[in-house]
Amino acid sequence: MNTVERTPKPYWNSYWAGFSLGLVLLASFVIMGRGLGASGAFTTAVATAAHEVAPAHAENNAFYAEYLGDGSRSPLKDWLVFEILGVFVGGFLSGALANRLKFFVEKGPRITIGWRLLFAFIGGGLMAIGAKIALGCTSGQALTGGALLNVGSWAFMWCVFGGAYALAYFFRKQWI
Amino acid sequence: MNAPFYKFGLFGDEASFIIAFIIGICFGFFLERAGFGSGRKLAAQFYLRDLSVLKVMFTAIITAMTGLYLLSRLGMVDLSLVYLVPTFLVPQAVGGLLLGFGFVIGGYCPGTSCVSAVTGRIDGMLYLAGMIAGLVGFAEFYPYLQNFAHMTPMGQITLPRLFNLPYGLLVFAAVLMALGAFMAGEWAEKKVGGKAPDPKGSLIGQPWRLTPVRVLAMGLLAFGLVAAVAGDPYRGSHTTIDTKDLSLRAAKGADSIQVTDLAGWIIQGRNDFKLVDLRSEKDFAAYHIPTSGNVPFASLTPDLAAHNEKIILCSDDGTEAAKAWFLLEAQGYRFVYSLDGGMRAWQDTVLFPKKVTGTDTAASEKQAQVAKYFGGAQQVEGAAVSTVAAPALPPPAPLAAPSAIGAKPQAAPQARKKKEGC
Repeated sequence: MNTVERTPKPYWNSYWAGFSLGLVLLASFVIMGRGLGASGAFTTAVATAAHEVAPAHAENNAFYAEYLGDGSRSPLKDWLVFEILGVFVGGFLSGALANRLKFFVEKGPRITIGWRLLFAFIGGGLMAIGAKIALGCTSGQALTGGALLNVGSWAFMWCVFGGAYALAYFFRKQWI
Repeated sequence: MNAPFYKFGLFGDEASFIIAFIIGICFGFFLERAGFGSGRKLAAQFYLRDLSVLKVMFTAIITAMTGLYLLSRLGMVDLSLVYLVPTFLVPQAVGGLLLGFGFVIGGYCPGTSCVSAVTGRIDGMLYLAGMIAGLVGFAEFYPYLQNFAHMTPMGQITLPRLFNLPYGLLVFAAVLMALGAFMAGEWAEKKVGGKAPDPKGSLIGQPWRLTPVRVLAMGLLAFGLVAAVAGDPYRGSHTTIDTKDLSLRAAKGADSIQVTDLAGWIIQGRNDFKLVDLRSEKDFAAYHIPTSGNVPFASLTPDLAAHNEKIILCSDDGTEAAKAWFLLEAQGYRFVYSLDGGMRAWQDTVLFPKKVTGTDTAASEKQAQVAKYFGGAQQVEGAAVSTVAAPALPPPAPLAAPSAIGAKPQAAPQARKKKEGC
């Protein structure tokens, strides 16, 4: 790797970052008539992989079947899949331009790397299950549905904050 | 300007993928700029030390919300064409709680974990792995969860429609709420986190100093105020009927759905449409297509569904459906279709189809399978009995096991209800 460590640039002010994200979301509404998303792309990818490994099983599974389409084209030819590919590229570009690319485990000072990685894995699993029950994650429901005054999205959003604050105390050592 | 561009057919699917990629790049870029690749920064929200999550999220929400309101009000965007995720209140609240748990345990949400992983954080990569494991697990347990996931359906519904309040007023309320939350958040950061507010980047402190961030907040507030008084953003409060457009669509057959397509969708478990049976209650009770709801033609009202919902109308032979199609189009519904041939075609083509002759055994087999799924049977050509005597209609609920061709979420509760009744 690079021997000269350059100092990472500071993050943007939250309001301006939020404003920029809001314009991206607005552009998506105006151009596509839909908002942003994230979890859906991973579901499509998982369903496609399941279909590759065990075609009959995936087709008989109602959940996978919804993401596999009618078979006329690859299920990966999906709007959200391309959007998420863009998110990876955009995140990488921004990180590279601000000298923020670095392999490490991010954690608070009072937790071991092993526990942190375990919690990250469990958190990801819980998040996936929640997002599938709620028909969307923070991008698809909270951000997009929030801007559209969608009833379910607002209920969802308050519950996300409620759930996180309710458990925050028990996981404080991980973060602070 | 006719937006959303995609919905007006300005470009096709292939181009939409390129747009998705570009929009994704911007999304990821700004997420990383906000510091959302960092789990610690994100989680600090829940210890009131750094409220970036609140600030970024709600600034984005009210920016897009006011912008969309104004563009719609100016007639540039048709708001009813922007896709709304249907509301299932209880599952969405429970899903939200689980997501919140996952957020504070894992440190990310799906979008931010991508940014975290791609900038080198190993915990972000593990989070992504956990998410994939969670999805696989969810899929395996889906049969047990799907009844729960479809509880308390409310359709595509917005807060203004639920509370019967003007759309713009709720936009204004959201802007006020967000700005209030920002100031409370900055105050909390100072008290709890001991973070001295950056004078240029915050709303509180040093009154009367005009900073760029304050200008942004005032701009959003002004947009919100305009929304509060400017009226309904939906197009079509004064509906004009474009007869040429309607007749063109009817001539192209773009106003109707084929029964075989519908059967396929029901089997796939697609729920992105509303199937409305226009026949009498008596006929409906005798037999109806699974997943359909009964709205007799005479009691058809303008508030049948959301204007951007896909509606498929079905009647005895399609005549009444065609009339209702025109009525709903005139009411400003965007995606209305009639079931071509109505119940008669459903009976002849789906329930009791004549066996496909020739060598195409796959098609014939599929036909038989579909017929069986809906409780009918394939009719063999030449077997005189079946062509002369009209076959009796099967009972309302589908008899075939849902797993036969692919389970369907809507029919499952129906089938279960039947079992309870017996």
